[in-house]
Amino acid sequence: MANDREVLREIWDGKLPICFQLDQEEIMEIQQPDPFYVMVPRLSYFPLVTDKMKRHFLRYISQESADSEMWLDYNGQPLKWHYPIGFLYDLYCGSDPQLPWTLTVHFTKFPENILLHCTNKDVVEAHFMSTIKEADVLKHRGQVMSTMQKKDHNQLWLGLQNDKFDQFWAINRRLMESHGENEGFKHIPIRIYSDDGTCNQRLVSPKNNDGSRKILQQLISEIFPDKTEVKLRTHGIMIPPDTPLQWLSEHMSYPDNFLHLCVC
Amino acid sequence: MDIDTITPEDFLASAKHFIEISDKIHDGWRIYEHKNEIHKSYIKKEAFITFKSQNELCLYKIEYVIFYNLSYGVPSFSFNVWNSPGTLLKLEEIRQMCFIQITKEEFYSVITQQEHPIFHRPYFIMHPCHTAQLLKEFKNKSRNIVVTFLGLISPLLRLNLSLEYGL
Repeated sequence: MANDREVLREIWDGKLPICFQLDQEEIMEIQQPDPFYVMVPRLSYFPLVTDKMKRHFLRYISQESADSEMWLDYNGQPLKWHYPIGFLYDLYCGSDPQLPWTLTVHFTKFPENILLHCTNKDVVEAHFMSTIKEADVLKHRGQVMSTMQKKDHNQLWLGLQNDKFDQFWAINRRLMESHGENEGFKHIPIRIYSDDGTCNQRLVSPKNNDGSRKILQQLISEIFPDKTEVKLRTHGIMIPPDTPLQWLSEHMSYPDNFLHLCVC
Repeated sequence: MDIDTITPEDFLASAKHFIEISDKIHDGWRIYEHKNEIHKSYIKKEAFITFKSQNELCLYKIEYVIFYNLSYGVPSFSFNVWNSPGTLLKLEEIRQMCFIQITKEEFYSVITQQEHPIFHRPYFIMHPCHTAQLLKEFKNKSRNIVVTFLGLISPLLRLNLSLEYGL
């Protein structure tokens, strides 16, 4: 069970300054729009924090584009809104920090082969809840989520959406408990991404065959047997290789209950 | 092993058997086996269909992919549909092409657009928790889990499954 409350709080309070700029080709006014600066929670998702920014740029673009789906890119790389913002930053800027993070805003040419459609916040909620559900299947065979009430599910989502730590953790703590006689989850919900954005999924146990706690270094040697010195980053932090996976999962998972780690 | 899940090895064996029948009747399914990581193996079929919308006959390309869902331990069904100019169809357009009548809420609770775990691109994926429920009821009676699985979901989609598969 997640006990190191200060760690949870630090992770929750992580913020990133973002500078949004409208794509030059989409500006239809003589006057150039000012860039839009905003401080956003690392744990949030772009569709939850971009309403004001969209309104700021709307009067500079053509009428026909005003109703189409907005999307973002960093250095020509479209940003997948269904990943947490802090993870996207670590993936693309982790080894070369750039603050504020300058992103380009588009209202045309939606890259439908790369990005999921997101017409409203309900889509984000559905994605978020189904990811938590998948994580619970890995941790507890889905038993915690299925015994929760609808209002508990809502509270997880509202806690994230409204940036309310206590509201979110009052429910999330139940998802971070281990059941049965063994301390630890059945599997650790973990996704490890290479810098090209592809992710290696596998079933990861929090324990070694001899019953001892598995640490990050042991997982790294399993996944990358040919490479020495692989380092992983999450929440802007290089994770010490001797960190136990169970502790990592309980304290450093994103609100979607997955560990999203980037290879440095 | 849980009653409502199958192993990647089970999945691959069923998929191979399924492909043998498909080859025999020229049904067009192909298998893509991943030697090192079995759970990344999948079967795929591409087809062209016509559908009448607003009194106009339109041609569509459909890609069906059945893969193994590692978290849930079940086969998963995914697909994409393109119109003739090559644009991906939206979920609402696909719902209107269904064989059977289904309410909006029901359809949207079963199928959503997600990043495909193997291709890392957007696909429509049938939600796996429904699959686990179905498998629980059919696992012991089924001769081939891929066939049983496809037989159960194909009424939702324009996917003709030949009786040769031994439904």
